[in-house]
Amino acid sequence: MTSEPHAFLAVDLGAATTSVAALGRVAGAWRLLGSLAVPGGGDPDVAVEVLVRRLRAADPNLAERLGMGGIGRLDPDLVPRLVVRSHRPPRLAIVAGSQRTASALTETAGRSGWRTTSASVETTDPLAMTALLLDPDVDAIMTGASDPPRADERSALRELATLVAAVAARRPDIPVLLAGGMAEGLSVFGDIAARPGEVLLAPASVAGTGGHDGPLAELLLELALPPDDSRRAVGPATQALADVLERRIETVVLGHDASVRVFAAPSAGGVAGHARVAVVPSAAVAPDEPDDSHVDGVIVWTTVSADRHRLRDQLRELRIAPWSDAAGDGAALRMAAARAALVRLAAHTDGRDAKLAPDLVLASSGVWSAVPAPAVTLALVDVLRRPGASQYALDHARLLAPIGAIPDADERRAVLRDIADDLLAPLGSVVTPAGLRAGRSAGRLVVHAGGTSTELDLVPGGLELVDLAPGETAVAEFQFRDTVRLGARGRHFAVDVGGGLAGLLVDLRDVPLRLPDRADRRRDLLAAWQGALWAGANT
Amino acid sequence: MTPARGDLGLVRTRRLVEASVDIRFRLAPGDRPLVAAGESVVPGSPIAERLRDARLAEAELTPSVYVRPGARTSEGELLFEWRGRWRVAAGDVTEPVETPVAGIVREVTPGSAIVISASGRAMAGIVALGGPTRGRLHIMAGTDAELRTGSLDVGLAGTILVVGSRVDAETLTRARAMGVRGIIVGGLASKERRDFQASERRQRAALHRLAPFAVLVLEGAMRRPLAGAVVTMLRALAGREVAVVTDPPALLFDAGELSLPTPPPDLVRIRGGPLAGRTGTWSGLLGSRRFAGGVHLEAAAVRFDDGRTLAVPLGDLERFV
Repeated sequence: MTSEPHAFLAVDLGAATTSVAALGRVAGAWRLLGSLAVPGGGDPDVAVEVLVRRLRAADPNLAERLGMGGIGRLDPDLVPRLVVRSHRPPRLAIVAGSQRTASALTETAGRSGWRTTSASVETTDPLAMTALLLDPDVDAIMTGASDPPRADERSALRELATLVAAVAARRPDIPVLLAGGMAEGLSVFGDIAARPGEVLLAPASVAGTGGHDGPLAELLLELALPPDDSRRAVGPATQALADVLERRIETVVLGHDASVRVFAAPSAGGVAGHARVAVVPSAAVAPDEPDDSHVDGVIVWTTVSADRHRLRDQLRELRIAPWSDAAGDGAALRMAAARAALVRLAAHTDGRDAKLAPDLVLASSGVWSAVPAPAVTLALVDVLRRPGASQYALDHARLLAPIGAIPDADERRAVLRDIADDLLAPLGSVVTPAGLRAGRSAGRLVVHAGGTSTELDLVPGGLELVDLAPGETAVAEFQFRDTVRLGARGRHFAVDVGGGLAGLLVDLRDVPLRLPDRADRRRDLLAAWQGALWAGANT
Repeated sequence: MTPARGDLGLVRTRRLVEASVDIRFRLAPGDRPLVAAGESVVPGSPIAERLRDARLAEAELTPSVYVRPGARTSEGELLFEWRGRWRVAAGDVTEPVETPVAGIVREVTPGSAIVISASGRAMAGIVALGGPTRGRLHIMAGTDAELRTGSLDVGLAGTILVVGSRVDAETLTRARAMGVRGIIVGGLASKERRDFQASERRQRAALHRLAPFAVLVLEGAMRRPLAGAVVTMLRALAGREVAVVTDPPALLFDAGELSLPTPPPDLVRIRGGPLAGRTGTWSGLLGSRRFAGGVHLEAAAVRFDDGRTLAVPLGDLERFV
């Protein structure tokens, strides 16, 4: 924003949901005035009109003062828009001199916003490899080797480079990346300046060496998603929020085409923090082609009875029309599909960062827009199992990505400093001890809040809910019979907790979660847990 | 425009007819394109020769401007040069690929695809299985009916059948065997889809193949009646030559003189939920409402023919333009 407007609109055009939020300067600070989430596929301008009409009805004077009082379209100079949209992840064809390198590159690309197909010289002949690269659905090609190339790769490297160069000559528009030791093959590409598509040298993949994909992932993410992509913008926004709140933050966005997980720690010692962003298309809530593993993944979490064929049909429908059938059993399907997507996301982002409970877990997704906020907390803690205590919050107005699209980091932080409280709908605190022994009681919990104390028996295997309203704080004092892990190992813990829509949730279930093998018992158990946090889930 | 009518823009639109469409025919290395960019094609024109069972071979060639990746020699399609010899996609048996539509060839990339800008108009589907095909459109069943195997006979050979809301794999394979060229259906369940695709693969592997056959799915994977506006349009096209293409999935027709019906602008169709398949008239935006399962969704009032006006989630609505 180059001018100094008194209001702006944050628009997130998702594949399944369009979210529009109006923000304005009130009493010298940016505040969220209102938001609206409607099914994707409609006209976003109409969504803006509806939102502004509601604002006018609620406070005509404020609307007038902020440039939203007139009838008709808003003046973009008075009320500019920050617009982000979810682009469909492009397809990257990966070929490498060894299967090990192909797997590492595929792993990195699969976390960097690309749908991938891959092959290696060890498993695929040149004809099949050429067919794979010439597939008209391929948007870019990456070929790579270790840096320096290992002995088993070196023999195949030159021929592989020649094969890729031949394909590049036939499809001159698509970009080609030469990763790691494959840079040695650059000469066979001839005059790369004359080629419309870029030929880029990229670093080797470091996947599997500590949970961080390094510069290759950053390059791939930049190539995969344009700057106005909502998933790419979540990274800078999470970092800015971590700086503003001075908290370690983990953001989870479950999307129709790809899901996102971001870890950010506050900048310290004059060194700017750098969020680690993973955009994982294979963790999409509604995959293109739900295979058996997808269906099995959803069956585990479903609370309604459905055979595999019917569930596959329902997942296809969710892909075709994600905005439709969102009530009744459709809501249960979405929650099961969201948990299954979260499992896939966690499996792809299971690095060092993911093992530590962050200070704040932030959920942001259209998939949560219709369900009660407390149910979101449960969906997250069902899957993200780690001992510790964290606060949970929901980006209820889907502001995070539009704010992340503000190009200037200082301006981004300034806006977030004002609206952090409006952006974060507090879901509550979750305390998850690990290493509990089965038995009638694992110990006692005393919650000290506002001069009163609430005492609870801690029963292993269950969920304990303590009412703690948004804005309230408390000290939760745990006394376990045996030593458990809760950040550190011990028997006595005092944890500062904050309230929220779900209150304080003490999760005494197994870490990782173990569910009954029998489908009916599993459904009943999941429904019972969900029922405690989702009024009317079974109506 | 009244506010209520303006809010109709929140309802997802579905285009009944696309003015033009580029259709893609995939090629694999070894397939021989028979057309060049800029050429005109008519229905039934061979546009490529598909190589069956392509194999990797080597050839020693004298360097020239014609010897380059993608070029063809008597040995086959050149892939790349390696240590003074060319790797080649070779094979002995080919079969023709014909375009089912007229148009202009937009792009030819050997080993990758031929793109044709089709003349005429198109109605988009959700997915199309099988191969591009052409035939006379025949309305077989009502919007909510299901076609059974016993309803098929050889008199339907050469037709593309509109079969209502659902069809099973057995009926599809029987139709193909009887010379039916294509099926247009509302929903195709995943199991039927899997069984039909397995049958298609077996058919393609056979030496004596049947004519191209396609299944165009218009709605999704669940049983759902065809939309009234769609049925009206299909009825108007009945008896005419139409084509089904797979990439993108669509029904193509060249009927410039035909006046196709335009649905009323405030007519909405319910796509999902307990009222799925019904149509009504938009009566305005209601705001957030609680629905089954304890979920809160933006809803609209929809007036039905029986005089009732009900709240329906916005996401369950669609309208045709």
